[in-house]
Amino acid sequence: MQFYKKILSFFLLVIFFSCNQKENKNDNKQSPTDTLQNNVAALVQSDQSTLDMSWCPANYPLEQMQGNKQKLIARVIYSRPHKKGRKIFGTTPESLCVYGKPWRLGANEATEITFFENVNIAGKIIEKGTYVLYCIPNENKWTIILNTNLYTWGLHIDETKDIFKTDISTIKQTPSIEDFTLFFEDTKTGCDMIMAWDDVKAVLPIVFS
Amino acid sequence: MKYLFLTIIVSGFFSIQAIAQDAQTIPPIDKSPMDMSTYPVNYPLLKIQDKATIPIVARVTYSRPQKNNRIIFGELLEYNTVWRFGANENTEIEFFKDVKINKVLVKKGKYSLFAIPNTDKWTIILNKDLNTWGSFKYEKTKDVLRVDIAAQKTTEIAESFYIYFDKTNTGFSLNAGWDDVKVSLPINM
Repeated sequence: MQFYKKILSFFLLVIFFSCNQKENKNDNKQSPTDTLQNNVAALVQSDQSTLDMSWCPANYPLEQMQGNKQKLIARVIYSRPHKKGRKIFGTTPESLCVYGKPWRLGANEATEITFFENVNIAGKIIEKGTYVLYCIPNENKWTIILNTNLYTWGLHIDETKDIFKTDISTIKQTPSIEDFTLFFEDTKTGCDMIMAWDDVKAVLPIVFS
Repeated sequence: MKYLFLTIIVSGFFSIQAIAQDAQTIPPIDKSPMDMSTYPVNYPLLKIQDKATIPIVARVTYSRPQKNNRIIFGELLEYNTVWRFGANENTEIEFFKDVKINKVLVKKGKYSLFAIPNTDKWTIILNKDLNTWGSFKYEKTKDVLRVDIAAQKTTEIAESFYIYFDKTNTGFSLNAGWDDVKVSLPINM
């Protein structure tokens, strides 16, 4: 019986994931005629790595709408690249994010974090305001960096504008994550900013002052 | 046979539960993906190539609902009703310097952006309420500006709602469209 169960679970999982994939494909579907007929739409095609927003407290706008009064602390705007069978983190040049090299923690435009209140990260006060957020991944730790060179594309980082750096250790992520994700989870003293992609996860605790 | 069916149901239940738990922690990709437009057009790319001749003037952050074979205006979106000009979180526009819209001074800063679609014109609304969801809590008293612009029919159908900026003689324009309708809002610098 145990054996049947395993086989069946496996098939159900396969069905689930294939459905999911189909859905994603449909989302991105744009036939050549659409593109030809519609120059404007072609100009503003949806990005491969879609933009997304994360809030601290988690889901702030929805909570607010439902009448849960909370203080807004932070908002991140970032793009979500996909793994697509590639090696993401590593030492080799084939790795998408090479150890020791800056990575934009996203795709396309530089990832941006706004603090609506002063917060405390790793014992340091971060003044409220908007910053570029990026990281330097390594095998066992990531260096998380805040930078003031705003409204830029994520590939060129002006390191002279760094205002804050902190190291956090990485955690093994299972199951592996297809789309890079960055989101907040509420904690007793503030919130955790969770970043995860492929088989790596890193958590940055943010304390409300 | 009875056991086999039971097994299917039980294992199905557990797999779905396991999946539901993962789905809960890891946010899925939104059905209406978010996007960003800037003026000058593609400012972040110009900036890293040292081709930006002026600093950033405006940036809009919005989500892009899909037509999905639906009739949008007059059906999915009722005429004469406030619409969030996107999907999910409220659409947000930031001006990095003062601008003029319909001869009204709009101070630099962030605003939420809404529209009231009608057959021949749309009313575009700038509002002070930020970081909200959709237009469910929209309050007219927090409006900064309302301006009517002509709605134009297009022959092409836009599957995804779009917003982009364009240079004009007096400044730039915010262009938006979905399905077979488009509008253009002139903004003066």
